Amino acid sequence: MKDAVGCRNPQLEVLHQLFSSATHDASAAMCRWTDGLITLSLDEVREIPLAAVCSELNIEDNLLTMVVLSLEGELGGAMILTFDDHNGRQLVGSLLNREVDESCPWSDLEKSALTETGNILGCAYMNALTRLIDRELVPSAPYFIQDYGASVLQQALMVQAVASDQVLICRTGFHREGEELNWSVLFVPTERMREAMEAALHSAP
Amino acid sequence: MDTCVLQSAVAEANVGMGRLVAASGPARLWAVLGSCVGVAIHCPRQKVGALAHVVLPESMGRGDVPGKYADTAVGEMIRMLTGLAGPDALFVAKYAGGASMFGYDGPIQIGQANVEAVEAALRKAGIRVAAQDAGGRAGRRVTFDCGTGKMIVEMVGHPSRVL
Repeated sequence: MKDAVGCRNPQLEVLHQLFSSATHDASAAMCRWTDGLITLSLDEVREIPLAAVCSELNIEDNLLTMVVLSLEGELGGAMILTFDDHNGRQLVGSLLNREVDESCPWSDLEKSALTETGNILGCAYMNALTRLIDRELVPSAPYFIQDYGASVLQQALMVQAVASDQVLICRTGFHREGEELNWSVLFVPTERMREAMEAALHSAP
Repeated sequence: MDTCVLQSAVAEANVGMGRLVAASGPARLWAVLGSCVGVAIHCPRQKVGALAHVVLPESMGRGDVPGKYADTAVGEMIRMLTGLAGPDALFVAKYAGGASMFGYDGPIQIGQANVEAVEAALRKAGIRVAAQDAGGRAGRRVTFDCGTGKMIVEMVGHPSRVL
């Protein structure tokens, strides 16, 4: 497990604890939304050199279907829900309880089902993080996008890139009846968000 | 490694965020861009070129990762290419990227700021811009051929463009 590597760093270990708790809440929300079909688990909390981040996450020039939520307010950050097209369609098909024609462009209803999934996940994460760090986090409206994964991640990393040549990424994986799925949630905090998270955990009883 | 000269045996290299790679001959350098800008400088006669993956407009005095910032990348590329091509080299530039991926119209548009900073740095260095493909709300995959100076720009759902 890659998260074991991250845990060798004490700072990453405390962030791992926090994200594990938030992922637990998000998994419960996802389980309810998909009628018990899908659960989440925290894969890794890592610091990665900026130049290598996309290759390390293996999303370089992959065409992905994504839902992006930005965190509004003083702390900031971004959450990106990523699928390859086939897996995104499969999720939407199961949510809408119908066959999805993968040769057609995404319909408004299909986009809506996927963005709502991002919204549910994002709100579950933000509610958990708000409770854990005692700061209000407000997610933006979810944004549906189909593009190179690296292009989207790049924009989410901009605030971290101003402060450092290393970036912090939290990656969550999905499972269907115990089987790993090729979906991810990438959470990209800003430097201020990271400081708030670390401060909250250090001050916890 | 944040800046490097590609060995002639290497045919292709990925230029990650903030990196800068120079090479000669038929080597192809590629990068995936969102709000970042891929800046290519080519010496046509000597058939050498470099690609920088610019992340931010200004270094604010930080010069440790020159490819990361528009104002330091161009100078470093000239230094590296002069080393490869000699002091008489003539430079021509192409660039692509600088999108606003999340479609916001807020006050801070980093993609546009990157494009403006790259243009300013090239102008300051006296390098002519032969072609560019910038802005919009979609990502780009660029491949730069150091021998020919051609830059191929791919965008999802669009035919490829050759700059």
